[in-house]
Amino acid sequence: MGRRRPWSPGRIVAVYVVLSLAWAGLTGLLVQRLFGDPRYQELVRTANRAAFVVLSSLLLYALIRRSESEVRRFGAELRSAFDNMADGLLLVDSEMRVVDANRAAVELLGTASKKDLLGPIEDWAKRFALRYPDASPVPFERYATRRALAGEAVVPYEGIMRRADGRELFVSISAAPLAGMGLAVTVIRDISAARRLEEVRDEFLATAAHELKTPLAVIKAYAQLVERRAPADAQPLAAIERQVDRLDRLVQHLLDTSRLHLEGEARRERLDLGVLAREVVDRARRGAPRHTFTVEAPAPVMVSVDRARLARVVAGLLDNSVRFSPAGGPVAVRVEVDTGEAVLSVTDHGVGIPREQQARVFERYYHAHGGGADDSAGIGLTLEVSRAIVERHGGRMTFESVAGQGSTFFVHLPLAAGA
Amino acid sequence: MPLSSVLVVEDDPDLLALLDMVLAGAGYRVRTAAHGAEALERVLEEMPGVILLDMRMPIMNGWEFARELQARYDHPCPIVVLTAAENADQRAAEIGAEGWLSKPFDIDDVLASVARQLAARAGGAPVAPPGA
Repeated sequence: MGRRRPWSPGRIVAVYVVLSLAWAGLTGLLVQRLFGDPRYQELVRTANRAAFVVLSSLLLYALIRRSESEVRRFGAELRSAFDNMADGLLLVDSEMRVVDANRAAVELLGTASKKDLLGPIEDWAKRFALRYPDASPVPFERYATRRALAGEAVVPYEGIMRRADGRELFVSISAAPLAGMGLAVTVIRDISAARRLEEVRDEFLATAAHELKTPLAVIKAYAQLVERRAPADAQPLAAIERQVDRLDRLVQHLLDTSRLHLEGEARRERLDLGVLAREVVDRARRGAPRHTFTVEAPAPVMVSVDRARLARVVAGLLDNSVRFSPAGGPVAVRVEVDTGEAVLSVTDHGVGIPREQQARVFERYYHAHGGGADDSAGIGLTLEVSRAIVERHGGRMTFESVAGQGSTFFVHLPLAAGA
Repeated sequence: MPLSSVLVVEDDPDLLALLDMVLAGAGYRVRTAAHGAEALERVLEEMPGVILLDMRMPIMNGWEFARELQARYDHPCPIVVLTAAENADQRAAEIGAEGWLSKPFDIDDVLASVARQLAARAGGAPVAPPGA
């Protein structure tokens, strides 16, 4: 269905000018032709001018009226679109006052009417107890609306609000400036359902991990028991233990994948990264007889980290080095301070990562070298989770790799305070 | 209250049998229970030197058992929590346990932990199991 847009003032004037000129020209010609007597001509011209004024006034009236009704209709359509948006919308002026809100916002926040939502946005946020998912308050300068009005690009953030009826609501909040109007529109989306789904998933994963660990504990302990009683069978039993440890690590990674983003501040302890590396390498050494591990940590490098998680990151890197150098060879771990940060690196001389696959190495479930006949199986979970863990410590992970020559993975971490 | 006696509370029969074997092999007197209620009966018969306690069990779980033990006897002996939960230390703190072992654990760690708890009770002197 085509819809008529309101006429612009220029168009109205243009129509008026064309019609007036046509009128003046045509009637002038007609009067000259039909009335030879100049007395009659004068009279008819006067009557014609009067008729012109009357008719053009009628025309202008019709045009303006038409245009106005179009504008009104256009406004009503916008209003209806604003009101019928599924997300709650707030219109905020340059003084950070809510000047308008749509129906979804009223329903979302459970107030009696729109009027209850209007006013300074700071009062508004206090009233609905706006806070981050970890319950810390959202500082005023981080308000999406404020950043949008200051011209910043706003990435939606998640938070919790308390509805007027006291019910808690998980929301995603973003804002965008309305160009040239000194206004911003704030978008509040209810993500409670998605959030509940995440909680169910996390609960499921936690339970599954817990259930998996008990049989792992039984297998490992029996292998150790038999190993003690029959030392001659130590080698196959050590292999069972190693695989149990690897399964345990995978289970932990699965848990971390789902859980990291929900946690507040990670648990930290101050430790020497070199000592941690040696502990992890000692365990890895037993499982890879064809590889030669070296640890180079000339001086203590103090970091403040979640010990168990960081140990898993290092163990995962060693695991990868071993798996991707199937012919054996050296795996070198180095811990040092470089340009004010702690750096742990793991270097192997294995198959390396082809250049075209390097950009995707940290993607979840992605595994470089995929498809090859000599491919080492794995679900590629380790690197993605490792990076997430390192980033939560304020660090980053990088790598250098040449296909056919090997790879070096780097873990960069901030030094512990006072180190 | 013999200091060399260990009560193992664990619902997985294989793990329970294994801990029984390992600890008995090291010379401890071991008694076992498959859940908290059974463990309370064992405690009633005789107070152990240390309790190895699984947390998730049917009938009466580790939390309930620890609460009941506290209520009846006011912290009579150290508890070492056996847990598959990630934050084993937190689980231990929740019930006021002295130690924890994360599943899957090393047998050596089990023995070391039991020896340490018994030694602490004996006033710091290491307690050798009678058969050791």
